[in-house]
Amino acid sequence: MLIRVDSSDPRPIYAQIVDEVRRALVLGTLLPDTPLPSVRQLAVTLRVNPNTVAQAYRELEHLGLAYVRRGQGTFAASSPPPDQDRASLARDIAAHALDEAQRIGLSIDELIDTIRTVSSTRDEDSRA
Amino acid sequence: MTTLIPPQIGASDLAIVTRNLSKQYGSQFALHDVSLHVPTGAVYVLVGPNGAGKSTTIKLLLDLIRPTGGSVEVLGLDAQQQGPLVRANIGYVPEQSEWGYPWMRVRQLLDHHRAYFPQWDAAYAERLSALFHLKTDSKVSALSKGEARRVHLTMALAHRPPVLILDEPTDGLDPIMRDETMAALVDHLAETPTTVLISTHRVEEVQQIADHIGVLNEGTLRTQLPTEALRTSLRRYRAIVPDGWQGASALDGAVLQRTGSGREIEWIMWGDERDVTAGLTTLGASVTDVTALSFFDATLALLKSKG
Repeated sequence: MLIRVDSSDPRPIYAQIVDEVRRALVLGTLLPDTPLPSVRQLAVTLRVNPNTVAQAYRELEHLGLAYVRRGQGTFAASSPPPDQDRASLARDIAAHALDEAQRIGLSIDELIDTIRTVSSTRDEDSRA
Repeated sequence: MTTLIPPQIGASDLAIVTRNLSKQYGSQFALHDVSLHVPTGAVYVLVGPNGAGKSTTIKLLLDLIRPTGGSVEVLGLDAQQQGPLVRANIGYVPEQSEWGYPWMRVRQLLDHHRAYFPQWDAAYAERLSALFHLKTDSKVSALSKGEARRVHLTMALAHRPPVLILDEPTDGLDPIMRDETMAALVDHLAETPTTVLISTHRVEEVQQIADHIGVLNEGTLRTQLPTEALRTSLRRYRAIVPDGWQGASALDGAVLQRTGSGREIEWIMWGDERDVTAGLTTLGASVTDVTALSFFDATLALLKSKG
């Protein structure tokens, strides 16, 4: 698992950490029941406030994506993340694309059609 | 000049409080009616351009200079009444090094400093000295600005004080040393509960650890709030307005910055996103885009606004 935060990102840093862990769970780069780095380790690696990492870990626990074992630290959830998390990643991408489309006055239908066109062009390119 | 929004921090559990703190030199105000609220355990970043009054504020907190008006409380102690006790509880990195003993070597200076702080952690001091590549055999008067800064950081951290006050802590450090300094500070905070006040004119260097921010400009505290509130209450709005639009004056007060000309205008504004968007729509503007600001952009907007 690789956690990265970007201070030019308008999302709060704790939310970026939560999203990174969620992404790692969906991708399978973070396996169930494996330990997350300690708050201190991750704070030092990312150069962020330890309270921010602790806040992210509390949020992960609240979302059911992680759990705390007393005296041992925070672990990735035992059950594989429900589809809902894959769906929420997809929603993030869709929301981002919609925002960008809206900015230049593109309708939803135009956007969806364009995604299909681009995707089929790529398929052809990869076959060629 | 008015405060943009009232301080949102309650009076309870504050490690550092100033009340209407002022410092005047002749008829000139270096600091005017500053009421700083630093919660216990916060990393509070005091930002402002050079000459805004940041170092003056810090010297007043440490009772190194006397205020013209107002008061300072650190950990419940009145700084003017109990200056030595206040200073014993603070790890301080000054902006400029004024060595009392310029002939001392770094090692002697650390030993000398240690004598004043019963809590001094010698093993930790050794670790920091190695981490910061301190030249312990150099005379302190011969240190470069960056080397002096690292000596001060070692002295400030090694007694694990409840309060750290860092005046431009990354000034004079090269990028690698700056990065290692931030790592050392984060590690320190993870291990030792500390209230931190950092003054800087380079927000980008400390934005990742800040959880509270105060904006000082021309001796006045323009605003102070948790960084989380800064993220949620400032937005960039883009809108198309009709020809000859007259609605702008109704927005005054909330607007920090306005750009664009003709029919397309962009504002950075305070307020709840829905309320502001509704307000703009009522005024005849068609809002095309609302975006959140990065911490850096938000701070820059605050510093530039003359509200």
